[in-house]
Formats: sequence, C-alpha cells, structure tokens
Amino acid sequence: MTMRTSQILAGLAGMLALATATPAHADDFLGNRTNGLSKDYAVRHRKLLVAHRLEFTPLFETTVNAAYQSIIGGGAKLEYHISDRLSIGVIGVGSTALNTALTNRILPTLASQSSQAAAYQSACPSGVNGPCTGVLPRAPSQTEFLDHLNTMPIHGAAYLSLTPWYGKLAAFSSAFVAFDFYFQAGVALAQLDSNCPQTPGAALGAANNVCWDTHPGTALMSGANSIPAVLDPNVDQPLNSGFRAGLYLGGGVHVFLNDFLALDLTVRDYAFEDNPSGADVNADLFVGPNKVLGDDNRFISHLFFGAGLSIMLPTTVQRTP
Amino acid sequence: MRKLPHTILVAMLGVMAAALIAPPLSHAAPKKTPAKGSAAGKGSSSDSGDIDFDQPAGSAAASGSTSGNAAGNAGNGAANPADIDMDSDQGSSSDLAADLAAVDNGSGGPVKAGEVKKTPVSWQDIVVVIRKPFLKLHRVELFPMVGVTMNDNIIRHYSEGGELNYWLTDVLAIGVEGQYYEHDFESTYDLVARQARRLPTVNQYNWSAALDFHYVPVYGKFAVFDHKLITWEAFFTAGIGAGQSQVVPRDPEFPGFTNLLIQPNIGVGMRFFLAKWLTINLGVRDYAFEDKFEPTDRSTTMNATASQAQANATGEFINNIMFQIGIAFWIPGSFEYTTFR
Repeated sequence: MTMRTSQILAGLAGMLALATATPAHADDFLGNRTNGLSKDYAVRHRKLLVAHRLEFTPLFETTVNAAYQSIIGGGAKLEYHISDRLSIGVIGVGSTALNTALTNRILPTLASQSSQAAAYQSACPSGVNGPCTGVLPRAPSQTEFLDHLNTMPIHGAAYLSLTPWYGKLAAFSSAFVAFDFYFQAGVALAQLDSNCPQTPGAALGAANNVCWDTHPGTALMSGANSIPAVLDPNVDQPLNSGFRAGLYLGGGVHVFLNDFLALDLTVRDYAFEDNPSGADVNADLFVGPNKVLGDDNRFISHLFFGAGLSIMLPTTVQRTP
Repeated sequence: MRKLPHTILVAMLGVMAAALIAPPLSHAAPKKTPAKGSAAGKGSSSDSGDIDFDQPAGSAAASGSTSGNAAGNAGNGAANPADIDMDSDQGSSSDLAADLAAVDNGSGGPVKAGEVKKTPVSWQDIVVVIRKPFLKLHRVELFPMVGVTMNDNIIRHYSEGGELNYWLTDVLAIGVEGQYYEHDFESTYDLVARQARRLPTVNQYNWSAALDFHYVPVYGKFAVFDHKLITWEAFFTAGIGAGQSQVVPRDPEFPGFTNLLIQPNIGVGMRFFLAKWLTINLGVRDYAFEDKFEPTDRSTTMNATASQAQANATGEFINNIMFQIGIAFWIPGSFEYTTFR
C-alpha cells in the first residue's frame, strides 16, 4: 500500500467517521432535535415581567364551598419580586358575609326566638342563677343559630411566593399573551366576628339576652348550693370571634395583558382555628374549653378564590440576555 | 516517522471537507423532498404554501426543478419573481408587474380579467409560527380519570371513569364519557344533625354518561425553572348525557328511590403534553340537572314506600361541579406532519 493510498484511506476514514458519528444532540420525547442548548435557558431575550418590580393588585375574593357563611370582599395585594422567581408580599381583604344555601335551608325549619324564650323561662323559672328543672329545647332558634355563626370582616396574609413556571399562550390563534404560575406560603391572619348578646338580668332568651348562660359547662356555686351547668350549647357564647393567625397557602396565575398589567387569578387557603357554627362540636353539650375533649374550635381551611388586576411598577420591563 | 503526520493532516482535511459538504446538524433530520415545481424550485402555484425555510441552498437546487431555481438565482444575484421578495416592500419584480400590466391593458395574461389585488410575497407576509409539538387530528384519546365534587358542603362524591374522544380536527373533538360515583359525608353533615337537630336531605350519585364536544381555543408553553419547556392547551367542553341519583333516606327505616337525570354539562380544562402518546388532563366540569329529593314529611303513614315518596318528591336544580384529573393515552401513539418544518 503506497503512502498516497494510505493518505486517501485515512481521509475517507475521517469523512466516514464524521458522517457516522453520533451527533452531539438527541431527540426529545416529541422527536424534536435538541443540542447542547437544551441545557441552556429555555427562553432568551425574555421579558422579565416580574423581576425587581413592585406588584400592586386590587382584588376581589370569595370563599369556595363555605359551610354557613360565604365571605365576599375586596382588598389589595402588595408584592415585591426579589427576582424572577422569588417574591414577598402581603394581602389584605375586607369582607362581608352572606348566608349559604345550607343556612337558608336550615333557617325556616327552626323555631322563632320568642317561642324559644318562653321555653327557657318555663324550664328555668329561677333564671340564669337557678337550676333548670324543665326540659330545654334541643334545637336552636333562628336567632340563636344565626347569632352563633361568625363572619370574617378582615383577613389577610404575609407570604413568600415562588414562580417556577412562566410561558406564553395563544388564544384563538390571535391573542398571544404571557403568563406565569406561582405558589405562595406564609402566615394567615384573620379577624373573626360573632355577636350573641348577653344582658345580665334580662329575661332568658330575650332579644338582648340570647346567649344567656353565664357559666357554660360548669356548675355555679350559690352559697353552699351548687347549681348544675345548663347543658344547652344554644345559649352559650359562641367563642368564635377575635384575632386568628395560622397557615396561608396559595397558588395562582398571572395573565399579562401588556408589560405592566396582568390578570391575577388565585386560589388561597387561610387555615386557622375556627368554629364557623359557633355551636358544640366536641359533643360535651356546651361551648367552651374542655379539659378532656378540648376546645370546639379546630384548625380548618378557609378556601378562597380571588381575581384581581396586577399593576407592575415600574411599567417598563427588562429582558434576559 | 514522517508518514504519520501526513496521514493525520490528510485525515483532518478530509474531516474539514466533510464538514463543509455535510448539511448542518440542526438540519440533518430527514426531510420530505419537495415536489417538483415547489416554491423552492419554480414557485408553482400548487405548492406555493410550502416554503421550506430550513432547506439548504444546495439541496433546494437538487430537489427543486432545474431551471430558475432559488439557489441559482441567489447565486446570480437576480431575483425570481415567483420567489420571496427578500427586499420586503420594494415592489414586485418584472414578470409579475408585466403580468399585471397586461391585465390592466386588457391584453389578457395569466391573470383573469377584473380587479386584481397586487399582493407580491414578501417577508412581511410570512407569519413565523413554530410547529405545534403535538397533533391531535384524527387521533383517539383514551382518558381514564378520577373526580371529586367541589361545591357540596354536605356530601362529597368521588368518581372514577373515563372519556373516549375522537379528534375531528386539531381543535375539535367528539367523545363519550362515563363515570361511576362513590361518596362520603362531610363533617357538616354530622354537625348540622347534632347542632341544629336537622338531618340534611341528600342524594347520592350512582353513575353518569354523556356525549361531549371539546374545543381547544388556547394553547401555549411554559418553562419550568427556566429550563424545561412544557406545552399545554386549554379546552372547553360541552355535552349532554344522563345519570342516576339515589335518595339517601334520613331514616334508614324507609326505602330510598332512584332518579334518572338528564345532565347537560359544560367545562373547562387543561392538557399538558408529556409525550407523543401521553398527556395529563385536568379540568372542572359542571353537570347541571333537575334532581328529586326525599320529601320532608315522611312517616309510617305518609310517603312510607319508595313510590309514594318519589311521587311527592321535591325537585331542585342542581349544579354538580367536579374537578377531574387523569392521564390520557393517544392512539395512534405517534403522528407525522404533512407539511414541512
């Protein structure tokens, strides 16, 4: 074999090696070819729609599948995006309450407060400081039922937010918009409110003395005599008002209408100790702390759906390399 | 000793030559050869919509027709009037203008008489849209799913079922679905009974089936942690079907009864593409129907039997909103594009 022949063969071998070499790319699961850039950023020259921007969002929020009272309100979210993925924020909402279908279905079946009051005065002739010798009504009156339910006039949260997903979508092949998904976790805060009036000295069950039991679940000592507890949770204070703190979890999506406006849709869960019915939960026949059975309040979720319009400041955006 | 460097040098030259001759790796995927007279070749009207942007000049010349091809013209610096006007809105080239002038003069030409809209092709006329990564046209989607009630605070239904959809186009499908339901009671069911001394009147759902239509108006993609791209789409569903509910007697001494329900449904959902044959679907569906509930006045002397209770049942319009999620399998398991990349 001459030197020229060996050189030609070597050249051919080189060409063959190149032609048959496994390319430096691979096919992805859809059969699209990928190369070394697959390890690079997925999107270049992308608008940083949230990074280093302040987000102010007027919003509307409503409970999802509430038991007795639907909480509907408006408020605002203020969030600073530390980076493209991480942000911190606070949210505050003022709300009103509406009866759910369940509440509206129960109410007409309950007795009026006046007939309930007559039953109390008959069963407890000595009033609140005497023993109840008669049979107490077992079902609440309409007023008792409603007065034990609580509302949530103010609630909010302070949270940390992670935005792991961003993308763009085409709607009807004509509107192309950017969006991102985010997840939030933090501290939930809520102010609960209930109002069941108690007026010492007023008639049992009167309009201003609905929750007339002054010693729920405990016997009352009157001199040497012990007056047994009134085991009727309908006349006990509901104990479901006041400030609550708990766990906040949320998840949502920004749909950007332009560089600084976005539709903000979120599902939020404010979880804290609550007893929405204000009635006896642990079956000890009174509302209040029980050394064995615990409180009637329990750690429960309050699921909300929210919609708002996010305003991103500054209104101009930067791009990635 | 001197032969080895020469051999290596020639081998390197061979590699370089091969690198110059071989098409780029990004275009190395086998392509369908354009038909003769295609846009890459002569700009024939029959295939004028098939513009192969990735076709190298050399291969375009080889696969297109032999005369007046784009590669040749590019090399000569002369524009083919049937090809894309690289200079954007510089006006049409001579042949097209001549044809249009002939029409204006009433001397005929290749264009039919009448008002002619002058639309020379330019880059601004081309909308650059990447291929959809997933085609559904003429494919069957088998979608086993589970669901849960979202809007009932007394009884919670869980469903197991499935859908079988045939995609008429890439955005429109027709299909059937069936679900079997199980249930449990929420804590409110017990609490209302104990606290308000009222036993809620509830119905359980046994099964449902429907004929559905699906429409996909939205598709998109998103990046997870700035690296992994996932494509998805959103769809609307509307359908009509039937189902069965069954009264849960407040007093087990009395028998319940069943109702046959006519159930139109509407819904919205999302589909995430994981493979050519696999997607994850999730969505919310509202099954609306008129249901009949156990009468409140039931005793040994009134509405004691199932037929009596059913005759005096109270009706109510119900929206059963369910969240559904599942993994869909696509048949056939793959697809091919009929157009060029």
